[in-house]
Amino acid sequence: MSTVESPDTNAPKILIITTIASSYTGANTVGQARAQYAPNTYIMRVPDPVMFPEDFYLRCFEKGFSGIIIMSSGSDCPYEGAYGRLSARVGRVYLTMREKGIPTNRLKLTTVCTVCKHAFLKEIDDMQKVVREQAA
Amino acid sequence: MSNLEPNEPHVGVYICHCGGNISDVIDVKRVATELGLHPNVVISREFPFMCSDAGQKLVIEDIRSGKINRVVIAACSPMLHELTFRKTLQRAALNPFLYEHVNIREQASWVHKGDHEGATQKAIRLARAGVEKILLQDELEEIQAKATKHVLVIGGGPAGLKAALNMAARNLRVTLVEKSSRLGGHLHELDTLYPSGESASALLAKLLAQVNESPLITVVVGTTVTAWDGFVGNFTATLSSGATVNAGAVIMATGYDHVIPAGGEYNYGGDPRVTTLPKLIEHLKTSAGKPLVWNGVPVKSVAFIHCVGSRQTEGVHAPQADGKVNDYCSRVCCTAALHSINVLKARQPDLDIYDLYRDIRTYGRGHEAIYEQASKNGVLFFRFTEDAQPEIREHTVVVKDILTWGEEVEIPADLVVLVTGIKQGAVGELIDMMKLPVSSDRFLQEAHPKLRPVEVANNGFFLAGNCQAPMDLVESSAAAGAAASKIAALLSKDYIPLDPYVARIDSEKCTGCEACIPECSYTGALFMNEGTKKAEVNAALCKGCGACVAVCAPRALDLAGWSIAQMEAMVDAMVTEVPA
Ligand SMILES: Cc1cc2nc3c(=O)[nH]c(=O)nc-3n(C[C@H](O)[C@H](O)[C@H](O)COP(=O)(O)OP(=O)(O)OC[C@H]3O[C@@H](n4cnc5c(N)ncnc54)[C@H](O)[C@@H]3O)c2cc1C
Ligand code: SF4
Ligand code: SF4
Ligand code: SF4
Repeated sequence: MSTVESPDTNAPKILIITTIASSYTGANTVGQARAQYAPNTYIMRVPDPVMFPEDFYLRCFEKGFSGIIIMSSGSDCPYEGAYGRLSARVGRVYLTMREKGIPTNRLKLTTVCTVCKHAFLKEIDDMQKVVREQAA
Repeated sequence: MSNLEPNEPHVGVYICHCGGNISDVIDVKRVATELGLHPNVVISREFPFMCSDAGQKLVIEDIRSGKINRVVIAACSPMLHELTFRKTLQRAALNPFLYEHVNIREQASWVHKGDHEGATQKAIRLARAGVEKILLQDELEEIQAKATKHVLVIGGGPAGLKAALNMAARNLRVTLVEKSSRLGGHLHELDTLYPSGESASALLAKLLAQVNESPLITVVVGTTVTAWDGFVGNFTATLSSGATVNAGAVIMATGYDHVIPAGGEYNYGGDPRVTTLPKLIEHLKTSAGKPLVWNGVPVKSVAFIHCVGSRQTEGVHAPQADGKVNDYCSRVCCTAALHSINVLKARQPDLDIYDLYRDIRTYGRGHEAIYEQASKNGVLFFRFTEDAQPEIREHTVVVKDILTWGEEVEIPADLVVLVTGIKQGAVGELIDMMKLPVSSDRFLQEAHPKLRPVEVANNGFFLAGNCQAPMDLVESSAAAGAAASKIAALLSKDYIPLDPYVARIDSEKCTGCEACIPECSYTGALFMNEGTKKAEVNAALCKGCGACVAVCAPRALDLAGWSIAQMEAMVDAMVTEVPA
């Protein structure tokens, strides 16, 4: 162990909220394929992001996350009505973000399945650009 | 020596090298050292293979020594070894839920190979987040639901019959409910079966005899389920006859319906020369061995057109009743069509057969041989694209054949057979009543396509056959067998252990505002107690989705094992700085 490539512990951080049924496995699939992305990405595993109250996201921004990607199971969600509720909830978070002057592109609701390697990497790529622009 | 009080959480942290899979990228010693600085961490080790016997023994010994009462293991994905380590804790007589699994392989070392420092810092933060989560974890207990050793099978087609027989063979009592007046489903319509060549009637007779002989199977025909209540281990179905069935689990085996070509599609309904594959098969069944005569006219040439009602594209095809097109492949129709072609050719070798396809999907074992046989039988194949559908003319079919670079070919056809697909049966009422998940193609949805392929996310519901997706008899039978063995395991004890990850309410904090009630989609899972005027959860009915949690302003509601406080603590740990 010798290499020290990025001693920058202050790199803008991205929180990735994943679902047990779908996108968490999707993130594992990306790992199994040894696809590479930057380590400023923190994956959180939950049954479904519909559980989070709106202020959870705002608190994450306050605490230091620069971007949040919610990778839901979308229409393949095993929980009835959860996706509709989640998107309505995220819609309300956007309103509050606007009121508070937080750029809404720092929060992204998307759908990633168990094998969506490209979608997973693309979402990260897109959010990296957003957080880099914010930091600049 | 730790300065912690004995009743405080004492955490043991274990960083796995995974034989280099992790330690070649992540500095595991540094992660262990950093984690050891946490005030609640009393042991922090790294080890070559945590999942090995030696790795597990290390954890067991640390627990037994009384030094730790919480465990965090940073290793591969929890999907691989979460259960392994829960059992490790159980062996050391510690509550198995006082354990958190942190993924630093699939989601760190494998994906950050070129950034060892970044990956190491990330591993430290993720492991710290695991510690913070486990500090707030209670001793969860599995929920126990009574196991009624009786299974309800809905649908008496081949999948339902096989499921019932498989369960009876495991000594489970079964009630088989069939909506129509007879058992057998679509097997009644089929002639000889691909790939075996066996007669469908003979197969059906065999299945029915076995079902009749079984003292454990009760069959009710001409009956549907009209009301539904209860939860895994203890469901109550009310039948259209008024009778009730008490069952521990249920298998959905309601099969499929044929897609009927949309009005006027390929002149279907208007031109008597145009029929569908199921109708041709019915004809073959009732005209054994004879040359093909259609509407009294001897047939000399037949054109088959594939993918009718399947693999549709918006804008090209008329939508179905729900406004969506059938964009899925019906899977069985290619082989079924080619099999019927071979049956026709065997009867009438001089019959000219033209097969107009988009793709040939003879995916199953022995199916490709059926395609090869059709080629050997002299069938002429033409390939078209979805945006250039063949056109039916008076005695011909015109196709733009992409195998000959888009040449327009006019084919003689005394009979046109539309290779129609299959769709979900009319089970909307059951879906609403039982709150079953449906995928975008309208078929019933499994909990996970690979990890839980015959289970529904709703506890106690299982799938067999074509209600889940288009499948042939071999696949339907395999699904029925898989569902039966899952149920046999589920009902093997007197109680069914359920994951404790359900909503729970701190009644002290609950203000009775009722905001949570409309958030829950599952009848009976969350309700107001009229006496106390507080919300209550029925743990056996709660699916643990968490939808209710988000709206509870006083935070009286939480998901056990996934509380908002735990998630917030993890967030805080993830953003905390790591010394470079
Ligand atoms: C044209 C065609 C040809 C085929 N040829 C072959 C072949 O040669 N070989 C092969 O292996 N496979 C073949 N298949 C596939 C085969 O038909 C299916 O695999 C098989 O029928 C699946 O059985 P199932 O029990 O899932 O469904 P089904 O056969 O549809 O049976 C479902 C049963 O459930 C009942 N039901 C529905 N709703 C309810 C309700 N609400 N309550 C109670 N009962 C209900 C129905 O009445 C029916 O009896 C073919 C399919 C097609 C379309
Ligand atoms: S099985 Fe063949 S005919 Fe049927 S939808 Fe698929 S490709 Fe089309
Ligand atoms: S939302 Fe919370 S406070 Fe209101 S009734 Fe439900 S549990 Fe009680
Ligand atoms: S967690 Fe989901 S299923 Fe359980 S009570 Fe809350 S909303 Fe209902």
